Amino acid sequence: MNGNEGLLSGGWSRVTRNKRYIVWFYILNLALACLGAAAFSNQAHDYLDHSLLSGRLVHGFDVAVLIEMFAQPEFGTTDAARASGVHFALLFFLAIVLFLPGVLQGYASTYRLPREDFFRACGRNLWRFIRLLIVAGIVMGAVAAALLGLHGVLERKALDSTNELLLFEVRVAGLVVIFLVMSALRIWFDLAEADVVLSDQRVVRKSIGAGFRHMWRNLGRLLGAYVVITIVAAILLLAGLGAWMNFVPPASVASAIFVSQLTLLLLLIPRFWQRGVVVTYYLQNMVEPIAVQPSTPAPVPPLVAPPVPVIPSTPPETEGV
Amino acid sequence: MKIRWVIVLFPLLSVVLISVLVQEHAAKAAASQAPAAPASASSVMAAGSNGSASLTIPDTTLAINSPRPMSQRVVHYEIDAKYDATRHTVDATEVLTYHNLTGQALDHFPFHLYQNAFQPNSTFVREGKILGTRDTRYDKWEEKEFGSEDIKSIEVVGQGDLTSQLKFIQPDDGNKDDKTVVDLPMARAIPPGGYVQFKIAFQTKFPETQARSGWKRDFVLGGQWFPKVGVWWHGAWNCHQYHAMSEFFADFGVYDVKLTVPSYEVVGASGVKVGEVNNPDNRKTVAYHGDDIHDFAWTASPRYKVKDDGVYQGQMGPVQMRILMQPAHWSQVERHEKILKESLEHFESWYGPYPYKTITLVDPEPDSAAGGMEYPTFITGETSWFMPDGFYMPELVVEHEFGHQYWYGMVATNEFEDAWMDEGINSYTEVKVLDSILGKRTSILNLVGATAGERELQRGDYASVADLDPIAQKAYDYYSGNSYAGVTYGKTASMLLTLEGIIGEDTMAKAMRVYFMKYRFTHPTKEDFLKTIEEVSGKNLRWYFDQAIYGSQVLDYKVLRVDSYPVNWYEQKRSLFQKEDKNTVYRSSVWIQRKGDFVMPVELEVKFDNGGKVREHWDGVSRWTKFTYEKKAKVESAELDPDHKIQIDRNDFNNSYTAEPDGKPARKVTNYWLFVTQWLGQALAWWAV
Repeated sequence: MNGNEGLLSGGWSRVTRNKRYIVWFYILNLALACLGAAAFSNQAHDYLDHSLLSGRLVHGFDVAVLIEMFAQPEFGTTDAARASGVHFALLFFLAIVLFLPGVLQGYASTYRLPREDFFRACGRNLWRFIRLLIVAGIVMGAVAAALLGLHGVLERKALDSTNELLLFEVRVAGLVVIFLVMSALRIWFDLAEADVVLSDQRVVRKSIGAGFRHMWRNLGRLLGAYVVITIVAAILLLAGLGAWMNFVPPASVASAIFVSQLTLLLLLIPRFWQRGVVVTYYLQNMVEPIAVQPSTPAPVPPLVAPPVPVIPSTPPETEGV
Repeated sequence: MKIRWVIVLFPLLSVVLISVLVQEHAAKAAASQAPAAPASASSVMAAGSNGSASLTIPDTTLAINSPRPMSQRVVHYEIDAKYDATRHTVDATEVLTYHNLTGQALDHFPFHLYQNAFQPNSTFVREGKILGTRDTRYDKWEEKEFGSEDIKSIEVVGQGDLTSQLKFIQPDDGNKDDKTVVDLPMARAIPPGGYVQFKIAFQTKFPETQARSGWKRDFVLGGQWFPKVGVWWHGAWNCHQYHAMSEFFADFGVYDVKLTVPSYEVVGASGVKVGEVNNPDNRKTVAYHGDDIHDFAWTASPRYKVKDDGVYQGQMGPVQMRILMQPAHWSQVERHEKILKESLEHFESWYGPYPYKTITLVDPEPDSAAGGMEYPTFITGETSWFMPDGFYMPELVVEHEFGHQYWYGMVATNEFEDAWMDEGINSYTEVKVLDSILGKRTSILNLVGATAGERELQRGDYASVADLDPIAQKAYDYYSGNSYAGVTYGKTASMLLTLEGIIGEDTMAKAMRVYFMKYRFTHPTKEDFLKTIEEVSGKNLRWYFDQAIYGSQVLDYKVLRVDSYPVNWYEQKRSLFQKEDKNTVYRSSVWIQRKGDFVMPVELEVKFDNGGKVREHWDGVSRWTKFTYEKKAKVESAELDPDHKIQIDRNDFNNSYTAEPDGKPARKVTNYWLFVTQWLGQALAWWAV
């Protein structure tokens, strides 16, 4: 077994031992998105429920009818619905920030983490995570901006070429590079998060430093694991969309909801798997051994047992009657 | 080397490698423009020569399948042009012979200098900056956007050099900085029936492609590139400035054009090729001849792949289909040829014969703003290297531009003043032809279960700008670019589809054929078209034209409400478990409303839950009306325009009402929205924390 397999399998076993976290986050994701989509749902029901034309959206997927619907002033703008969707997506993100320390603590435990310990970890690390988030945002934002800027320059250069495919190739190659660099940064801050929680590290910069050092020293191993998991996520997404398009009858809304939600549930797993990988790595490589003071034990006086009366092994012979 | 260094260096090396590749490609492209080896000069030129002294318009029929001219030929252009592929300029001489068929003496001649539109203070750019153009935003001015068309000298045969008499005029907006029209006073007026010949030397500098003309990388599309005389129309010169939202107008005639280009160029142009000669300076001269056309465009690129073995047997004779494709799109050449052929078949069968011997279809340089354009016998398509089979954008563009051979090319309406008569009528025939070829609801898209039809998209374009402008309006007077497009294309197509519903599909088809056959090779007005429809249908349609074409009224009918209740409701016991009595008589009412200010009779179909149907007719004069029934059945649904004849109703969703709501469509659409929202949240959480 090589290192990557160790990380991947170790991470996976943590995920499977703690499936409840994924289920809870899925429920949270669904609940918040339902709230976010409520405004749009009301708009759609008001507009479509009594119209015969809307049948063309059910029996097949008539894009022209959908475009017409959005173009109608009576349908109204989707600005409010879009805004609420984005707001609830942000809420989900904040919920992850809040509850992630508990998840990391749970992944590190060899037993099922009690609820109070989970929330204690969340509360204890909230402010540390916010600080971490700010640093990560600055670093990742700056790097992403620089890479995207460079990407844009290369795209403009490729546009001058008479080879039409070059633009596409440059675009894909550039996005792969950006993905790899951003994944490395993500590993750095994931390690820092694990360190903050599992070392109970109050000084966040120390965790950031430790995270960077370990990311740097083990980049190949960690990045390999992250890339494999991302590929799994991409396959899950494509498989889900493929199943949705090819196997779900157009008129079966229930089947469409089932397939789409199953896809979203499965899509949550890869990121938790990456967390599991980080915790596994932390426990293997980052946890500091507890210093044990060598000491000479005081001589213990030998126990002097009181004399025990000897019990005869055979019962005394009884007198005959 | 440790693995981490490999991983760190990989992105850096990738960036460097990509840069090198890009540079290499650019270098190759430049190399391909370098002069090629000297070619033999054995070909013989067959084109008409410059400086012809005979003041007449030739009656040649070299480029048409007709033994005699088909148009009243007013002009004969003989142009000898040399293209500089490095500077993107054309240095040319032009001999224009003009036949005065106006019935009166002409003492001045206006000329279009279209390429002068691409200058920062031109009317085109001023309007484009506010309204937008189809392809350029003018956020900042770049030198490569500059275009010009300079008359170096102009001589009128028999009157001498009149260059000093040229004067820029601005008949539309008085913008003194606009140089797209120049007027030439004559020393002596040209009498009715007389001829005049102009000998012009000019230089055109193309911009990087704008408004479907100019260069991109090593490609060039020469459109509106030479001084063109205006049209004497309804007792006056009609020579508008070039506007951001206008196209063109010109007289029919004969074109003899010689193009000298680098010898590596592959050339395509209007008309038929009549000669090619290799020059000693690594250049070649290609000659083209066009009959009964009113414009001449050409293109050149070293990388075109050509398919010219396709011949369509037309009603008047064979038509050679010449297709110039980008190398990366070569796999789509059959697709382009197929739709071109099918368009030819449909137009010939429905409207009239295509008389020209050639049709050239150009797949222009990607990202060049040269796609989707029409010139006589010469059109540009639009596609990309990735084009799934069920996405019919290339078919739509080719069909549309081919349709312009009829509605613009032969029926040569004034595109400045009646843009709807070429773009709109063409959009209507586009819907008809694509419906026939690709299916009514799948004429744009038929891919992995998703479908889209052209007629709904046309109405969608119009719906968002329904109350802004009438159809009958000058192209440059629209409120915005969106309004121009939505009304000129979308509303006109929807209006004519509705007209088809009023007079019948067969009658409409006949009227269109009569209109084409009567007005081909002329410049009809909007009334010519409308009167033809009235004559063929035998109906007075002014009530419709006044609202739909001359007015900006909006048509929007709505089923307001549907209601059914038992007539003896007061006798009925209230019980949750009471079964409905089949003998219960219901009083049902349906309210319908005219929401817009467009008044038009409409049909209403009411369906009952026992399967019965009733059809009603409403004149639409009042704002609303009510229909009431007493039946042993409740109303199930009510639908206005049940045969879907009124395409111009800007909102089809409110044309029907079902008594029982069906939440399925909304749930389906909401599921997409929900999926995207959830996925967005997950993606954000993935990368941000």
